[in-house]
Amino acid sequence: MAPEISNLSMFFLIFFVLIPVSLSYIYALGLSGSIVWSSFRGIVQLFLIGYVLTYLFSLSPPIGISIMLAVMIAVASLHASKKGQGIPFVRVIIFGIIVGIALLILAMWLGFDMIDFQPDQVIPMSGMVIGNSMVAIGLALERMKSEFRESRGKIVAALALGAQPQQASTILIRKIVKAAMIPNVDGLKTVGLVQLPGMMTGLILGGVPPIEAIRYQIVISLSIFTSVSLAAMVATIIFYRFFFNKQMQLAEMKNDEA
Amino acid sequence: MEVVAINEGQSLIRMENVSTAILKNIFLHVKKGEIITLIGSSGAGKSSLLMLLNRLNDPDEGTITYRGQDVNSYDIPALRKSIGMVLQSSSLFDGTVEDNLAYGPKIFNEWDEKMGEELLQNVQLPTSYLQRPVDELSGGEQQRVAFARTLANRPDILLLDEVTSAVDLKNVELIEDFLSRIVPERVQAILMVTHDVAQARRLGNRTIFMDQGKIVEEGKTSDLFANPQTEQLQYFLKE
Ligand SMILES: Nc1ncnc2c1ncn2[C@@H]1O[C@H](COP(=O)(O)OP(=O)(O)OP(=O)(O)O)[C@@H](O)[C@H]1O
Ligand SMILES: [Mg+2]
Repeated sequence: MAPEISNLSMFFLIFFVLIPVSLSYIYALGLSGSIVWSSFRGIVQLFLIGYVLTYLFSLSPPIGISIMLAVMIAVASLHASKKGQGIPFVRVIIFGIIVGIALLILAMWLGFDMIDFQPDQVIPMSGMVIGNSMVAIGLALERMKSEFRESRGKIVAALALGAQPQQASTILIRKIVKAAMIPNVDGLKTVGLVQLPGMMTGLILGGVPPIEAIRYQIVISLSIFTSVSLAAMVATIIFYRFFFNKQMQLAEMKNDEA
Repeated sequence: MEVVAINEGQSLIRMENVSTAILKNIFLHVKKGEIITLIGSSGAGKSSLLMLLNRLNDPDEGTITYRGQDVNSYDIPALRKSIGMVLQSSSLFDGTVEDNLAYGPKIFNEWDEKMGEELLQNVQLPTSYLQRPVDELSGGEQQRVAFARTLANRPDILLLDEVTSAVDLKNVELIEDFLSRIVPERVQAILMVTHDVAQARRLGNRTIFMDQGKIVEEGKTSDLFANPQTEQLQYFLKE
């Protein structure tokens, strides 16, 4: 059975806040305010989500799952789209990409009978896929901006030789997808050796035997790998075109410096 | 302004009163068989002018025609192939020399492995260079690969932006010799930007002097250098 942390114990978390606050005070870091605020905000958010999840778990699976996934994807798209300011319909497009990836992964989990269609399984697992896709798309957008700036000469050279924008950006798409994959490749190499992944930690704390917990961890790690690579690739393939104009010239980039 | 009588049948490119943020009221007429050299100080707008012809940029005002038709009426990649440009910064693609040479022809399904060696000979590089990674080449060698990469597309007109600035004298001579031999059979006309005034003089049939976005003076190369009309050009040539 999962262990419980009592209210009194929770109260003593105040020390975990006071220590960084006093350090900030001693070294005049000027962070006291934001440490207190973000800790408070984090606590409130988690309590709220605890109640919301309790409620959603009590609904019928299709309804609870759809509501929660829709909310998570909406928040994720809003967040990722900040990196793509100036691109038309960026939020809608990112929402679409994440929906597609989340559904694909979910279909594979259910199809291969890895998890059950229950809110307490689908929501946390999909949450990780959605969160990681969000980060991957944000990074792809940022990298695209910097690559288009740094490799401007190569792109222009490709255009000058008669390449279509899509052909000219292949050079970058390879780099960006590779950049999205590498942290995952590296992460998988040391997984479990340096620190236990969050989900596995949670399952073990919740009383699941380690040998069971790793099965979930393997599923989620590889699912994240797939979704991150897909997210970076699809985002790049869709968004490269906004860096060109109709005359197949490099468009002058607005919000060039982000 | 035009000194030479124009034979309309031979007309290739015509710019009429073209202006952009940088260029002001440019009139330019390129005929078959010409090597036109473009000179002027840094920032005069020479590169900007070439880019308009390869459609890497478009004018705000005025018209540009190619073989009598507005450039806007051509398929853009096809036009860029036909009016090939070597950019001022060589910007080679990652990979080998051969990858770079094949880039354009592969787009148009025209690549043939036999082309590589001849292209390297054209720019005075050893044929053994085909498989070398481009980041191992010297600046002058990279410049010549970029030149050969444009030649690989078999352009009808060549726009050259400082293609020999980093190349040693002996090879510059050989490349110049190659350039004067390919017009008008293999390439119908060349527009060449150069900082090397002596080169502009050696190679050009006609020379254009630009300053601050304008064409200040133009004429037969020998006349222009023998008898510069404007103070700006006299001053420029003295430097
Ligand atoms: N992408 C750009 N955006 C804004 N201004 C530009 C851009 N490229 C060039 N310019 C400006 O346009 C002017 C003309 O530039 P251009 O490159 O055509 O000169 P140039 O005659 O080729 O000079 P150089 O001999 O140094 O190559 C310069 O003042 C330059 O700063
Ligand atoms: Mg220039």
